[in-house]
Amino acid sequence: MQAQATQLIHAYKQAPWRIQRQYVGTFLLVVIGISMIAALYLQVTARAAATGREIQELRAEIITIQRLNADLETQLAKLTSSAEMQRRAVEMDYRPVKPGELDYVAVPGFVAPEPAILLAAKDAGFISLPLPSEYTQSLIEWLDDRIKSGGY
Amino acid sequence: MRQQYAVRSLILVVGLALVGLAVIAQMIRIQNSEQAKIFLSQGDKYSGEFRMFYPERGEIYDRSGHLLAGNRTVYEVGVSLSEMRKPEALASILSVYLGLTYEEVHKQLTGSPEGWEYIVVQDYVGEETVAALQELMQQQWDADDDSLDGLGFKPHFQRSYPENALASNVLGFVTRDGRGYFGIEEKYNDLLAGNPVQVWVPSDPNKAMEIPRVSNGTTLVLTLNRDLQAQVESILDQALFEYGAENGAIIVMDPRNGDILAMATTPRLDLNNYTDYFSLYDNGSQYNRAIGMAYEAGSVVKILTMAAALDTGTVTPETTYIDTGSIEVGGITIWNWDRQPWGQQDMIGCLQHSLNVCLATLASKMGTQTFYGYMERFGLGHPTGIDLAGEAMGRLKVPGDTDWYPVDLGTNAFGQGVTVTPLQLMMAASAIANDGKMVTPHILYAMLRDGHQYNVPSQYAGAPIKAETAHTLSGMLAVSLEGESSKALVPGYRVAGKTGTAQIPTQLGYDQSQTNASFIGWGPADDPQFMVYVWLQKPSASIWGSQTAAPVFSQVAEQAVILLNIPPDLVRQQYGSR
Repeated sequence: MQAQATQLIHAYKQAPWRIQRQYVGTFLLVVIGISMIAALYLQVTARAAATGREIQELRAEIITIQRLNADLETQLAKLTSSAEMQRRAVEMDYRPVKPGELDYVAVPGFVAPEPAILLAAKDAGFISLPLPSEYTQSLIEWLDDRIKSGGY
Repeated sequence: MRQQYAVRSLILVVGLALVGLAVIAQMIRIQNSEQAKIFLSQGDKYSGEFRMFYPERGEIYDRSGHLLAGNRTVYEVGVSLSEMRKPEALASILSVYLGLTYEEVHKQLTGSPEGWEYIVVQDYVGEETVAALQELMQQQWDADDDSLDGLGFKPHFQRSYPENALASNVLGFVTRDGRGYFGIEEKYNDLLAGNPVQVWVPSDPNKAMEIPRVSNGTTLVLTLNRDLQAQVESILDQALFEYGAENGAIIVMDPRNGDILAMATTPRLDLNNYTDYFSLYDNGSQYNRAIGMAYEAGSVVKILTMAAALDTGTVTPETTYIDTGSIEVGGITIWNWDRQPWGQQDMIGCLQHSLNVCLATLASKMGTQTFYGYMERFGLGHPTGIDLAGEAMGRLKVPGDTDWYPVDLGTNAFGQGVTVTPLQLMMAASAIANDGKMVTPHILYAMLRDGHQYNVPSQYAGAPIKAETAHTLSGMLAVSLEGESSKALVPGYRVAGKTGTAQIPTQLGYDQSQTNASFIGWGPADDPQFMVYVWLQKPSASIWGSQTAAPVFSQVAEQAVILLNIPPDLVRQQYGSR
């Protein structure tokens, strides 16, 4: 009975070199897994850093463009100022109209358009769309979010 | 043999483990040491910086979208002292480009206190100068010359007014410290300036999103019509020259909603050179006479007395009386402007000939309580509430005041002893032009912030008289202008209005030689779309409002109907009847 049991154990017991190989394999698997995660994390972090840098540059560019825009607006306003327009009109031999020289035409349903500055304000909402979280989160933040939200 | 290896291996493992533990222990010790805290705090210094973000000051537009106040880039020219190599060469170049003396710049560069890293040589330097300096820097850089090392430029905004002096009395100005003075710039300073924010700006690009966005100041759209404003200012300047007046004010308002379409006063300041303020004005109330200076307007106040008399049923347009040229009120005799009797007159004649005795009679009939009750309801003695800084209140003495006497009832009825600003009188008269409803004058049409538009609603300031009274009086004033072939008449348009010629009170009584000439009018009389107030101070060509202010009203009205697209009465009525 004893002998039979020993035989059975020996039959199913793995060879020592096989056990060592399993340990090594498991260790390598863990190392490869950690390396993959590290590589992935490094890549995501590097991309996030590059994107962050790009955001910093774009912000600086926005400020520069805003400044340029303000300058151009002011320059344009100077070129089309009331005094300047009157001067140019006189140069082109125009003169102010008198009340009796005007003809009026009734246009049914005509509504005078709003000034461009007010129309521009209504469109300005399109530029303030929020950036999706995919573009702002690191891998760890994303995992953390997933865990907290129970996978949803 | 195997046993020996096992022991050696064990010793090696324990040894390595001890070394590992020692490394970890040392790491923990170092990380929690005092020195580590110092290193960390030093590191934090370079991880970012506190920066103050000044939002771009909001722009100001007229109602058609013409820019009245904007911003332009100017530069702070400074030198990083640690990077500076040749202070003499730098001082020499900067003195030439910035218009400073060599000694001045050199002293700044070399005489800075110990520990200073950066000094500002000059601020508010224009773009052209900076561009020239940058080009020179590039040339020197290419030539491997370090004379300009350390020189730097920091851009920032400065207020700019593309129309220079146009509507300067309405806009106000912004000084270099960023604060608005007078007009819109002062009234809405907080909105326009926005909120400066000091934020930590991390160097770490991963934290780029943590930098908050600073909203620009609110952009304002005014009710002003730029072209009408320019025309009105031109007419006012011409009128001052033609009639030899010292100063003046003209306001154009939409009596239906209180929109101020133009507000011209003299003198006007080139807002891009606001330091001229002190040479142009003696005090702040002169900056915008239309709202800041109360004066005795004289006969234009008669329309309010007549409105009260009609509204209470004291008289009708057909009511007649015998004008004897004088009346006694409170024991004092009140005379007509020409000290002559005008015989039998109805109420239209009363207004047409601007008879003091008539109006004093009406006030006496109404009694103090009713008369002053109406004047209060017309808003005399109270600010209009217009959204401009520096509004004066005017003064209406009422029974009970220490300086009120019974004769004031008679004199106040024709505008003597009552001080008002042009805008106050316009607001009061808007009730006559607007079916009895008085509007609150306002200058702000809309606000724009973060892509949203907020319109400013019109506000009514009560209804001092009935609609029928308003229509009746408006008709009477139109007839009285037509009856005297007034110089205020506008061809093709029926207008209603009233002149005012008021002697100027002094310490020694009323000055007989100098007057304030005024005119208030509106049109078209059957559907008022514009209301004009003209005030000429001390005209020398003629002291009479009918000879000076009335023709100015006509000129302004002619421009208003063109620029506001108001067809002549005949055309309007033709289209209206279809």
